[in-house]
Amino acid sequence: MELSTVKDAFDRVTKKQKLSCSKSQEVIDQVGLEIEQTLTKIQSVDDTSFPIDLKSILAELKVKLNAIGLQSQLEGPQKELNSNLSKYLKLLEKVFNPDISKAYRNVDFDHHILNQIIASHLYRQGLFDLGDCLVNEAGEPEASALGSQFLEMYQILEAVRIKNIEPALKWISANREALKQNSTSLELKLHRLQFVEILQKKGRADALVYARTHLAPFASIHLDEIQKLMGSLLWAGKLEKSPYAELLIPAHWDNMTEELTRQFCSLLGQSYQSPLTVAIAAGVEGLPTLLKLANVMAAKKQEWQAMKQLPVPLELGKEFQFHSIFVCPVSREQASEENPPMLMPCLHVLCKQSIMKLSKSSTRSFKCPYCPADASVAQCRQLYF
Amino acid sequence: MEMDSLPNGNSAAASPPQNPTPAAAGGMTPFPKLTQLTEALKLEHQFLRVPFEHYKKTIRTNHRAVEKEITSVISNVADVSDSENFSKDDAVNHLTSLVSRLQGLKRKLEEGSRTEHLQAQKCRARLNHLESADAENLAEWNNTRVKRILVDYMLRMSYYETAEKLAESSNIQDLVDIEVFQEAKKVIDALQNKEVAPALAWCSDNKSRLKKSKSKFEFQLRLQEFIELVRGENNLRAITYARKYLAPWGATHMKELQRVMATLAFKSNTECTTYKALFEPKQWDFLVDQFKQEFCKLYGMTLEPLLNIYLQAGLSALNTPYCYEDDCTKEDPLSQESFRKLASPLPYSKQHHSKLVCYITKELMDTENPPQVLPNGYVYSTKALEEMAKKNNGKITCPRTGLVCNYSDLVKAYIS
Repeated sequence: MELSTVKDAFDRVTKKQKLSCSKSQEVIDQVGLEIEQTLTKIQSVDDTSFPIDLKSILAELKVKLNAIGLQSQLEGPQKELNSNLSKYLKLLEKVFNPDISKAYRNVDFDHHILNQIIASHLYRQGLFDLGDCLVNEAGEPEASALGSQFLEMYQILEAVRIKNIEPALKWISANREALKQNSTSLELKLHRLQFVEILQKKGRADALVYARTHLAPFASIHLDEIQKLMGSLLWAGKLEKSPYAELLIPAHWDNMTEELTRQFCSLLGQSYQSPLTVAIAAGVEGLPTLLKLANVMAAKKQEWQAMKQLPVPLELGKEFQFHSIFVCPVSREQASEENPPMLMPCLHVLCKQSIMKLSKSSTRSFKCPYCPADASVAQCRQLYF
Repeated sequence: MEMDSLPNGNSAAASPPQNPTPAAAGGMTPFPKLTQLTEALKLEHQFLRVPFEHYKKTIRTNHRAVEKEITSVISNVADVSDSENFSKDDAVNHLTSLVSRLQGLKRKLEEGSRTEHLQAQKCRARLNHLESADAENLAEWNNTRVKRILVDYMLRMSYYETAEKLAESSNIQDLVDIEVFQEAKKVIDALQNKEVAPALAWCSDNKSRLKKSKSKFEFQLRLQEFIELVRGENNLRAITYARKYLAPWGATHMKELQRVMATLAFKSNTECTTYKALFEPKQWDFLVDQFKQEFCKLYGMTLEPLLNIYLQAGLSALNTPYCYEDDCTKEDPLSQESFRKLASPLPYSKQHHSKLVCYITKELMDTENPPQVLPNGYVYSTKALEEMAKKNNGKITCPRTGLVCNYSDLVKAYIS
């Protein structure tokens, strides 16, 4: 990225702008000075010599002002400034992609849907005022529903931030059944953190009482954890220098907060990440390739607008991989229900159609394209990803 | 993932794999992170261009004002010196007024120069913002980008209050174009109230650039004013108006001109569809849209909101037939009805290489975490299966079919 070149070019623009500005000042001063001098001259003139002198004095002023060559004085720096202005714009065009809408398909996004998506995004980021503001301004009252749901989550998270786990526990007990299906140890994590807090702040006795009431119910499934926590009781007061110092790292709170958010979103039927953020991030990664493609296909604009599948892959990072996609290494086609992936006895995988082709419609055995092993269609079996 | 191919593998198959590189299933980042960032920054043309156009415009306006005033002062002096009948007092008064005019001009120049300075700072703030993006703060920087994109959308949709609040609460005022859009707001508000004056003033402010882009926005405004006169049955005034303001466009836009002139023969309640359309109130909405387009063009903005552009690209990249299956993961934006609707006119993405995601852990199955096949053909990641085996004494239960088998029954699949 040639950002430093761009910055230099911009510095040149501002320099010229200052120059042009001070030149204008200078010219104004000059004119003012001449006029003022003439004024003093007129005022000092004796009344008797009037009017001949007055006329010549004014004529003299006129000549002087013309002699300054105001126009050219103002024009020179301005011209230089102008040329720098347009140079800068040209540079921007060269360094950056001047039109990112080139790959845009002319389909109108329904702005009601967009508004609702944005409102949900704002709510789920905890920006409730902004969400409400948009709902009002854009007139999308039904979009505010998600707001109240996320409000509860942020209240719980806010409490957790000041190490009050009560609201979180209350939420967990209200949703115990649903959470069970997600097999999460969120509740234990909360109690563990609370236990350590009590051990640090109030001492061994209180911690023990807490463990008996709140940790004991987990004994059947999380025995290891509880044994470890009980072990830490021995080091009360000097936990940071003990083998259990690990219990104190703040990352445990962060992990728990993340887990809590995840579970909360999951119960709401929402994703952990804002879908808008994910879609935009995917757009940022995909757009450069799309733009290159649009350039190549500039002549076939119609085709571009109509195609059902992109002609080239837009490689996205693995955080955007939500589905298993099997591409047959022989035919380069994506597997589908009609053309499923098949495992050959040598453990290489091809799509069914490729195998049919290799085996001449299952009439004979064939060689794996990847290794010298022989295979027959009967030995191949379908895979489910 | 290693391929078990021998050097003389002798792939006698009809069509050997076109690309036998042992690329692991998935796990490939197209560009290294840094190149990716550079590519992302290259998309930010508008981000730098808009404040710069604003800056340039201010410079031009200020300079023109100075030039005009000075020229006027000088020609005033010339007038005085050329005129015959004036007293000494007259001359003194006159010159004194010129001096104070110059002082006024100087103040104005200083003020203008302050505005220019502020706008230059804004341009610089954006350059610095682009420069500040690096691997460490990328998450936060990307977050800001989402906000910038949202503010852009809100401004274009005239949700000014939300736009301002979002910019203010995130402290990104320098990174969004609220001031630029305030200029547009005046014109749009007026057009929505069926007033053309501010729009016409805007046209004359930007005359030369509109002319360069062969814009006919002014003509369209004039046509509308003419229609309003016809609607009010001020036919004579309408004709005078047409002579003055429509005639100059005759050379280039005769057809439209004739069509509008023909409304004189009709009344505003005409049933004739060609002319009925011209009287419809939605013509004003059309003018608003037209203005927005001209406005965006002038400032070097994309005609569509940035949000639409990025979303369209993103949804095209994410769009696969699998997104529409019932068990689509919630983390996929396309699991949501609203995103699906947006994506429906968009193409599916294309893949050249297999990318396999474990059904259980949702993690990518690659060299580090290879796919394993159960006896029933269902595939899961090694990580997930190892974990399951550890917990259940080496027993594996297929979560989709309920089949129970031993960990030792599994085979590794080789995916290229």
